[in-house]
Amino acid sequence: MTGSRSKSIVIWTFVITALVMLSAPTIVVLGASFTAGNIITFPPEGLSLKWYGAIAQASDLRQAFVRSLIVASICTIVSIPVGTLAGIALAKYRVRFARSIQIYLLLPFTIPLIGSGIGMMLVFGNMGVLGSLWPVGIACCVINLPFMIWAVTASASNLSPDLELAAANCGAPPLQRFLYITLPAVLPGVITGSLLMFILALNEFLVSLLLVDARSVTLPVQIYNSIRSIITPDLAAISVVFIASAAIAIAVLDRLVGLDIFLKSK
Amino acid sequence: MRKSRAAYPLTWRVMDMLEAIAARLWPARFARALPYLMLAPAVLLVGILVLGLVQIGDSSLRVLDTSTFLMSEDYTLANYQRALTESFFATVAGRSLLGSVIVTVITLILAFPYAYLMVRTPSSALRNVLLVALFLPFFIGQVVRAYGWLIILGNQGMVNEALGLVGVPPMRLLYNYPAVLFGLIQYMLPFAVLMLAPALTAIPAELEAAASSLGANWLGTFRHVVLPLARPGLVGAGLVVVTLSLTDFAIPAILGGGSQDFIANAIYDQFFRTSDQGMGATLSLLLVAVGSLLVGLVFMLFGAGTLAMTGERK
Repeated sequence: MTGSRSKSIVIWTFVITALVMLSAPTIVVLGASFTAGNIITFPPEGLSLKWYGAIAQASDLRQAFVRSLIVASICTIVSIPVGTLAGIALAKYRVRFARSIQIYLLLPFTIPLIGSGIGMMLVFGNMGVLGSLWPVGIACCVINLPFMIWAVTASASNLSPDLELAAANCGAPPLQRFLYITLPAVLPGVITGSLLMFILALNEFLVSLLLVDARSVTLPVQIYNSIRSIITPDLAAISVVFIASAAIAIAVLDRLVGLDIFLKSK
Repeated sequence: MRKSRAAYPLTWRVMDMLEAIAARLWPARFARALPYLMLAPAVLLVGILVLGLVQIGDSSLRVLDTSTFLMSEDYTLANYQRALTESFFATVAGRSLLGSVIVTVITLILAFPYAYLMVRTPSSALRNVLLVALFLPFFIGQVVRAYGWLIILGNQGMVNEALGLVGVPPMRLLYNYPAVLFGLIQYMLPFAVLMLAPALTAIPAELEAAASSLGANWLGTFRHVVLPLARPGLVGAGLVVVTLSLTDFAIPAILGGGSQDFIANAIYDQFFRTSDQGMGATLSLLLVAVGSLLVGLVFMLFGAGTLAMTGERK
């Protein structure tokens, strides 16, 4: 079986290259955050937690982090009802112009991010609301909304319409059918979707950059602004926040739906 | 009479009340309009984007008056003429286009074996490792990842320090074109693998077994069986990667250090450095046109793939 051996050698060469490329920045940032030195060196000067202490003191980083959390929460809170209702409507009902509505709702994915960001910057700028946090939250919600709708429709299509008819037959009025039958059925989708929305809004960079001013920078923008000067380990320590939240999100996602849902063919 | 009513659980009474409110707000004869009511918030929210595009279109037709720094009142196509003729914009557009094509080719070459192994491996532990390695960077965000590359590739970065230990003088690894392309490839890998995986799942493993039992070696099987069957996935992934890397901002900005601007960076500069809103809007609209065309092509050819929003009715 020399053929299969050369095949696995070739495949593994590519896969290991890809794995190193994918993981190297994460591992390095993680490692750099624990350095004892004042600058990041290789080999590291020893282990310490002092940079975590430093970021706990730095109020600008802490405030930026709180702002990012607020933005992500606004985005998630808005997207849950909006995405859930739209997802159920698309999956459950026969809607006229369904195809056109779908294409319209996919606009956030088809318009390049810089275009959406500039457009919303002009819209919110004309409304005179730039500088507050809620426009950033709404903007993050708009650009990622297809994820939420997709997650809900994926779980709503498993819901048999007979269940609702049965409930109606037993005398359940419309609202009860919605609350006790439809909503529980799509709940896994709603949770998956809101998780995606939260994590994507938490580290959304370009749209934040366009919509914030000096007083309302979010954490990714704050990191970007600090990168310009000198590379110090405090940025690595604060970046670990993102790595940790990403890890938590993946763990929850794996628990809830299983990551291999993304491997299924349509 | 009163007693039996008290025996009614509270939740029932609340539900009945809500039910009555709902029935008053949305009587049963409107039932057919219900799905449209449910879609309305999403349509309105995406409407902000459409409104934004209209605003961009409006701004793109006004030129900057350099004496007053105000936008002109009357419409003109002068911005479009400038965008299409000035050599600076042609350079940036050429750099972005060439870059996105190179990135796409290399990303697909790296992503294909990754997706193949992930789909075909019998070990679920390995599959999970590959999936987590894919999702972690996807969820971490571009800025942190680019920051990681700065630590690794910077002048006092890990690679240069390590080379210094064996006596190699430091090299400039950052702020050049290859660094930007490298960063983009890393950014695009998860997208490409996730687009390829469903296409590869759809190819039955038996086909490959059949090919090899008929005497094809693995290269032949790959070339004549797997590759042609995976073509829809490859084209889809390719188009997505081209669009995303063509329009990216963060990687060229951070790893290019201002000298390797892509189109998105040029747009940003028009708005925030030159303050020429009209020119920036024109460039945005041209980019939106190209980007939407590419993505529209994907959806036309393959449907929305995993992102299709109508699950099959069962």
